This record gives sequence, C-alpha cells and structure tokens, in this order.
Amino acid sequence: MTQTLTASYTAALEGRAVARLDRVSKRFGKTQALKGVSLEVYPGELLALLGPNGAGKSTAISLMAGLRRPDEGMVRLFGFDPRDPKARLHLGVTPQETGLPSELRVYEVLDLVQAYYPHPMPRGELLERFGLVGLERRQCGGLSGGQKRRLAVALAFAGNPKLVILDEPTTGLDVEARRSLWEGVRRYQAEGGTVLLTTHYLEEAEALASRVVVIDHGRTVVEGTVGEIKARVGLRQVRFRAPEVPSLEGVSKLKRENGTIVLYTPDSDAVVRQLVQKNVPFSDLEVQSVSLEEAFVALTGSR
Amino acid sequence: MNLILAQYKASVLSLSRNPGYFIGSIVFPAVFFLFFVPSSAPSTLEANFAMGSFMIFAMMGALFFGFAVGIAQDRASAWAVYERTLPGSPYVRLVSRVLNGFTFAVGAVVVMAVVAHLTTPAHLSVAAWGRLVLALVAGAIPISLLGFAIGYLASPKGAGTLAQLFYLPLSFLGGLWVPPQNLPEVVQKISQFTPTRHWGDVVWPAVTGQAWKAQDFLSLAVFTLIFGVLALWGYRRDQGQRFS
Repeated sequence: MTQTLTASYTAALEGRAVARLDRVSKRFGKTQALKGVSLEVYPGELLALLGPNGAGKSTAISLMAGLRRPDEGMVRLFGFDPRDPKARLHLGVTPQETGLPSELRVYEVLDLVQAYYPHPMPRGELLERFGLVGLERRQCGGLSGGQKRRLAVALAFAGNPKLVILDEPTTGLDVEARRSLWEGVRRYQAEGGTVLLTTHYLEEAEALASRVVVIDHGRTVVEGTVGEIKARVGLRQVRFRAPEVPSLEGVSKLKRENGTIVLYTPDSDAVVRQLVQKNVPFSDLEVQSVSLEEAFVALTGSR
Repeated sequence: MNLILAQYKASVLSLSRNPGYFIGSIVFPAVFFLFFVPSSAPSTLEANFAMGSFMIFAMMGALFFGFAVGIAQDRASAWAVYERTLPGSPYVRLVSRVLNGFTFAVGAVVVMAVVAHLTTPAHLSVAAWGRLVLALVAGAIPISLLGFAIGYLASPKGAGTLAQLFYLPLSFLGGLWVPPQNLPEVVQKISQFTPTRHWGDVVWPAVTGQAWKAQDFLSLAVFTLIFGVLALWGYRRDQGQRFS
C-alpha cells in the first residue's frame, strides 16, 4: 500500500499519469454530465471512482476509453488521444455482460478479443484466473449470469493490459463471487497493473482502492486515500438514550431526537469506548453503518 | 489484416449459427426458386433467365437485408460499444462486415446455381459465367449501399420492417420473379426506376447471350452515387450520435 502510494506520488511528480482528464466538460443534450473534471490515474495504483448513479462516472470512463470526445478540456491515455487506436493497446475494458455475442463460444470470443493485442495473456491462464476452465466450448448465450460476468471481466484482462477499467464490476454479484473477483483484481495490481474502478459501494473501494475520487453532479467532490475518504464519507451512526453527553472526540455531527442522541462518527468503536470511560449512563445503544448516499448528504450538504 | 480476419471469422461463425439469417439468405431464395421455376422454364434460355433473376434475389437477401438489419442491431448493441474500446480502427469492423455479407452472398449464389442445374435445363458457357459474375457484382454495390443507408438511418427496431418493405417489392417491381415484359403495364413503368430492374438489365444479357448496353451500367452507377451519399450521411450521423 505504502509502496503503491509512493509510486503514485513519484509518478505524479514526473507527470506520468497513464490516463488523464484535464478540466473536461461534457454535455448530453440538456444534461451536463461533467463540469470541468480533472482526474489522473497513476501507474500501479487502484483508483476508485465513487459516486451515486448519474454522477458522471460512466461519462468519465467513456471519455478515457475513447468512446466519446470531450466538449472542453483534454483527455489522454498513455500520452495519446484515446480515440487513437494505438492509445488503447494497453487498455482493458469490460463489456456489459448482457451484450456478449450469444452465438459465439467462450474461446471464440477470447480469440477475437485477443487478436487485437500484441501480447495477449495466454488463454489457459486467463481461463484459470477467472474461473472459466471447462466453459471454453460453451456458447455465451448459454452461460449463467455469474459466468457471463466472469467472462466479461476476463475480457478486460485478455490483452495483458497496463490499465484496466472496471465499471461497477460487482453490481449484482453474490458475496462469494465478489470476493473472488476482488482477489483477481488484487493479484493483477500486485503484478504491477493499474486499475480504474467505478463503484457505488464504499466497501468495494475500501477493499481494493489505494486512492478514491468521489464525483457527484459532474464535479469532483473529494479526493484522497481510502482512509481520508472514509474519515469523511465512511461515517457510522451511533444512537443511544442518555440524559446528557459530555463532549466526545471524533464526532462529525450530533443531534437529539426526543431523548435519543444520534451522532455520526468515522470511528464508532472509539466513541463507544469514550462513553464507557466517561461513565455516561447510556441505554439502547445502536451502531449502524451509513449508506454512501447518506454520507454524500453529509459531505456535500445537498441532495 | 489479421484483425480483419479475426473479426471476419467471428462474424461468419456468429451468423452461420443464426438460423434467421442463414435460412433467410441461403435457404429461402432456393426454396422459392424450386416452387416457381422448374415447372415454368422448359428451355435453357428461360431457365438461364430465371436463374439470373433468382441469383439477384438471393444476393439481395444476404447483402441488402443482411446489412440493413445487421447494422441497425449493432447500433443498439453493448458489444459493439465494447469493440470500439479495443485497439483497432472502426474500419476493421466495417471491412469485415462487407466481406462477411459477400461471403453469404456467394454462398447463396452457389446454392442457387446448383439448384438451378439440378432442376432445370439451365446451362452457361465459361464466358457467360464470367459475364454473369461481373453483372452480379455491378448491381451488388448499389444495393449494399442502400442496405447500409437503411441500417444507419432507421431505428434499430424499425430497420427489419423497413428492409422487408424494400426487399420484396423491389424484387417484384424489378422483374425478378416475373420477367419485366410480363408485368402489368403500370408496374413496368415503375420498374424503370428501381435499382433491381437495372441490375436485371445487366444480368439478363449475360445469361441469354446478348450484348450489354452501356446505359444500364450507367444507371447502376447513378444508384451507387445516390445510395452511397445516403449511406455516408447515415454513417456520419450515427457516429456523431453514439461516439462524440
């Protein structure tokens, strides 16, 4: 982790970002999807792009993958305009699994995608890494939802890319499938790969990311390490009954609801410990995690 | 080049496993031929004429219909968007699509030739075969461009219906099912304005041993220009909507 961060900062100093949005704006009809967003992805890091639905995450990604052109600002991928095919030689992207060509067999899809890359990952290794062994000869249309997702994710890695963009890779997956996907992503990063991930799960960013950028309403809201973001976004709610509360450390927000104290804190354990140490006569203690959505309210003071 | 080959292989595999396309472009025209021609074409000349007409009809299915529907479906497909993120030019897909359409068109023509030779007295000299191939290709170009135009300009859901609305009437009006001189008088007049009629006008002399008229090729060139401009406009419009 520390190593990754050091590498990131060094890269930043050298301006070696593998992908970069520079004051980019993009409008679709009446919707302003991005408003002057700047974003850099540094070699070796796992950057999580976090935000509610409609925040502009997908637009940012489609710009980096060369699918769209910015209205204003500049987009760079490995130093080139991503609309230039040579910029995408070291990029891996996941397709939507609903779009996999249903008549083609798994190995035929892999063959097709790998033909685009000069040094693709050996097929056996790819199948093994993403749990696709034994499915090579199955037609995509006949795969289960989970298998389709694994194939879709495998395709992002098929070309041995230096940068992988994963757009909400675990939405709709069960816990076990999610863990195994995380395992694959960690392994790739450990081998020197760079990842840009979008998610609306804070938990996912926490498990994987070395750096987080939160965007909302087409703007960058906050950017930092997971710890920093967690301190601001990863709040927990602590509720209890008590006649009065002494001042406590690490409380972001405190309110009273007819005799019940509701407080928000990044570290609920520390708060509870303080309550005990200070002999607060509390009852009905409840600790809840706060959804990202609620955290955004706390963070942006809007919505 | 390798890329085009890989893309081509994948689309041929994909389409050959799609019964709708396979049957529509290869089986259906041959069955249609079997229904109508063997009983009504006792002489070699008549059989040759009908074989030429049905080869046009078959090629239209694979090219015009195939391009219109295939492109329109692609415009709504998530996979096509993914393919745009791969490190290849969009022209790779375009070239492979054309190769793919012509592969099925050749398949349809070969099947038609075999069926015609087995069930009718159709027979052509080697030179006539050469002229026939040239004539088929000359007409295939404008009709393919019309397919491209519909594929890019129609809505993904409407393209199939629209293509159907062109495909069968154009075949009838062009004199592919009933020779033009046997068409009702009004239809004969309309026939002059269809690309299929002019396609027939270059194919029929080739299979009946008559001389070509320059004006028929000229007409095809005019259709090529018109449909080419439409297709290009549609292509630009679609790219602007989806990828800008």
